[in-house]
Amino acid sequence: MSHEGLFSGSTENVMRWVAGAGIVLGLAAAAIMILVLLRKPEWRVTAHAKWALLVGLLVLPGMTMLSGNVVGFHKVKNSCTQCHTMDPWVQDMKDPKSTTLVGKHYQNRWIPDDQCYTCHTGYGLAGNVQAKIGGLSHVTHEYFTGVPEVIKIKRPFNHETCLHCHGESAKYLKIEQHVDAEMKPKILTGELSCFECHAAPHPRKKP
Amino acid sequence: MSDAPPPASAPGSVRLVTSACVLALIGVAFSTAHFIWPTPLLFALFMIVGQGSFGLALLLYVIAIFRDLRKQKVL
Repeated sequence: MSHEGLFSGSTENVMRWVAGAGIVLGLAAAAIMILVLLRKPEWRVTAHAKWALLVGLLVLPGMTMLSGNVVGFHKVKNSCTQCHTMDPWVQDMKDPKSTTLVGKHYQNRWIPDDQCYTCHTGYGLAGNVQAKIGGLSHVTHEYFTGVPEVIKIKRPFNHETCLHCHGESAKYLKIEQHVDAEMKPKILTGELSCFECHAAPHPRKKP
Repeated sequence: MSDAPPPASAPGSVRLVTSACVLALIGVAFSTAHFIWPTPLLFALFMIVGQGSFGLALLLYVIAIFRDLRKQKVL
């Protein structure tokens, strides 16, 4: 067994345990509810049934749903690369010769994991919720309505995502334009996009 | 303590509890399926159908409890 064994503390392994617990709790809840449904209808509203359902309908499924959210939102972070639609962009990101910003970030391990998710979700709760709603529309396109011929970003890229890591760093402050009295406010408000001066984040056209 | 039998539950409560069980089973089924096959589609179905039906099941169960408590004049 590798060092990523059954009891390693890696995130992937913890998720495996959470998923396993979710399955066990879900099956236990299902067993209780099926037993209740198999009894006579009158029994289902007795005190015994209500106590059984408190566990089988409230506590155990509640924990299963919670585990589902934890595991699901962890796995969905790297699901962008699962759809063939995104293959050209993913290939560009992983191409050692790529000169795009995403390529540089990937090659230099500036963002070690979940690269798509890290840049394409705003920070904080609202950002993640937006990403989840966006993800649902991606799933709808992929499985039901079809993928549009031309793929484009839904709303302008949030400059705060760049500034979250780069802003106020020593390297960032060394650049004259970043601290220029006229340009600084424009950069901070997003009036001046980072991509005006820096390389394109992705290939301008479908790679 | 009174020896009188507890008041018979209305068929409405039985229906509510039965529906709650079925809906919660649907929710648990989607949840378990998404654990076993973690695809984006099953995750989306778990989020919408699974959690939606579980939420509805909880609501029905709480209504059933509330109705019984009112019937027994606890509330």
